[in-house]
Amino acid sequence: MKPAQFETHEPNTVEEAVSLLESLDDRAILAGGQSMVPMLRFRLAVPETVIDINAIDGLDYLEEDDEWLRIGALARHADVEESDLVAEQYGSFADTAPLVADPQIRNRGTVAGAIAQADPKGDWGSVLLAHEGEIVAQGPDGERVIPAADFFLLPYDTTLDENELITEIRVPTPAPREGSAYHKLKRKVGDYAMAGSAARLVLDEDGRIETATIGLTAVDITNVRATDAEDHLEGERPGSEVFKRAGELAAEQSNPESDEHGDAGYKERMVNVLTQRALGDAAERAGLVKRRVSQ
Amino acid sequence: MTDTREITLTVNGTEHTIDVEPRQLLVHAIREELDLTGTHIGCDTGNCGACTVLKDGKPIKSCLMFATQADGSELMTVEGMEDLPEAGDDLHPLQEGFREEHGLQCGYCTPGMIMSGKALLDENPDPNEEEIREAISGNLCRCTGYQNIVRSIEYAAEELEEGEIAAADGGVVTDADGSTITPAELTDEDGEFDCGVENCCGGPTTDREHDSVSGGERE
Repeated sequence: MKPAQFETHEPNTVEEAVSLLESLDDRAILAGGQSMVPMLRFRLAVPETVIDINAIDGLDYLEEDDEWLRIGALARHADVEESDLVAEQYGSFADTAPLVADPQIRNRGTVAGAIAQADPKGDWGSVLLAHEGEIVAQGPDGERVIPAADFFLLPYDTTLDENELITEIRVPTPAPREGSAYHKLKRKVGDYAMAGSAARLVLDEDGRIETATIGLTAVDITNVRATDAEDHLEGERPGSEVFKRAGELAAEQSNPESDEHGDAGYKERMVNVLTQRALGDAAERAGLVKRRVSQ
Repeated sequence: MTDTREITLTVNGTEHTIDVEPRQLLVHAIREELDLTGTHIGCDTGNCGACTVLKDGKPIKSCLMFATQADGSELMTVEGMEDLPEAGDDLHPLQEGFREEHGLQCGYCTPGMIMSGKALLDENPDPNEEEIREAISGNLCRCTGYQNIVRSIEYAAEELEEGEIAAADGGVVTDADGSTITPAELTDEDGEFDCGVENCCGGPTTDREHDSVSGGERE
């Protein structure tokens, strides 16, 4: 099926895109388009105007400075997958990228677009929550920074203002002795998650858990933090017993729905298992990661 | 009147300037405006990968982007494969692999599989099985169970490697035993096609009447 007719605009700058958002009523932003194009084709979305932001220069970056890993709004999943920087320092990002859809879709789809779409089954939201990341948005009144924890409201609904454009997704650069990981269960390649768990651990000098953050995928109405499990972990030494309890707490706090792929109890059990695995990998990586010394 | 826009696409090395509607999908532009129907439309949902083409060297699903978004880019479709230097006078080693290793049954997914295989071998000339399976994971096949598709791509990787060695030796493609292969070897003395397989189907053309196609006359 073809989409209904629409007009297109292809702004060359963020400012131009934002002023289009302001001046046009019924419009959709098109970035990677790997979810948006099917929505247009099936006429689930029938906007009068499509604002294609792909022509905006300088938004396709993936870079690190002293404070942040910065992912520009037009960086593709494949850019994360292929990044040496990510492979060395950001375990959960390196785990997640190859698990998103399939190679063709990763070549087009963007991380920021996936965050903006706010599908509770999407992987990046959980990872962003676990890293206590931020969404940088440009609106008519300038730039606004939204903590990931304040971003997701409902499935496909966020606190992004209707005249705002996401320009960047960013997460803090890893602390010394920080490690992270993502584990996901999906029915087959290309599917969204049935359940997923992103875990990040920061160890103190004695090897105890100073900070634990866990984001869960597909087991509530949005990507959510498993705060009970996080609280349980902090101050403890990493190990299978403490991770087992954290897995149970994450499962208890999750709220999955039964569907054709599995009932809620099964998914809770999967949250438990995936969380334990993610914590195990995160702990191992926390022991291995050595921050490069800033120049 | 519908708004259209002029775009320029370089497809398989040839530049085309066409008018498209903003809502026209790239796959439709390729098939309908350029008449290159080797790129297939399968699932209409972005899952099956039958519409895979290379855009600036990378595999993408041409049903998941608009033609306007490909303005100015270089595309490669399955029709471009036999014009590549590696193809010599015949099929490209990837196409040959699908024939030799029975990598297709109904053939519907094959163009997409070949394009994903091409992207893989361009990046990684010597992939292992896991890498091949990952590269075609966005391409669904409902006939083969994938085993023969994997073998087909392995075949192509080996052929391409041999071709490179041969090219370094002076440009003659040789068989494993060192003898030179020519396309003529696939036809017998009467000019009949012979793929070398026992109970050969007779090749792409045959004199036999396809009675069953006209219906109702089979015994």
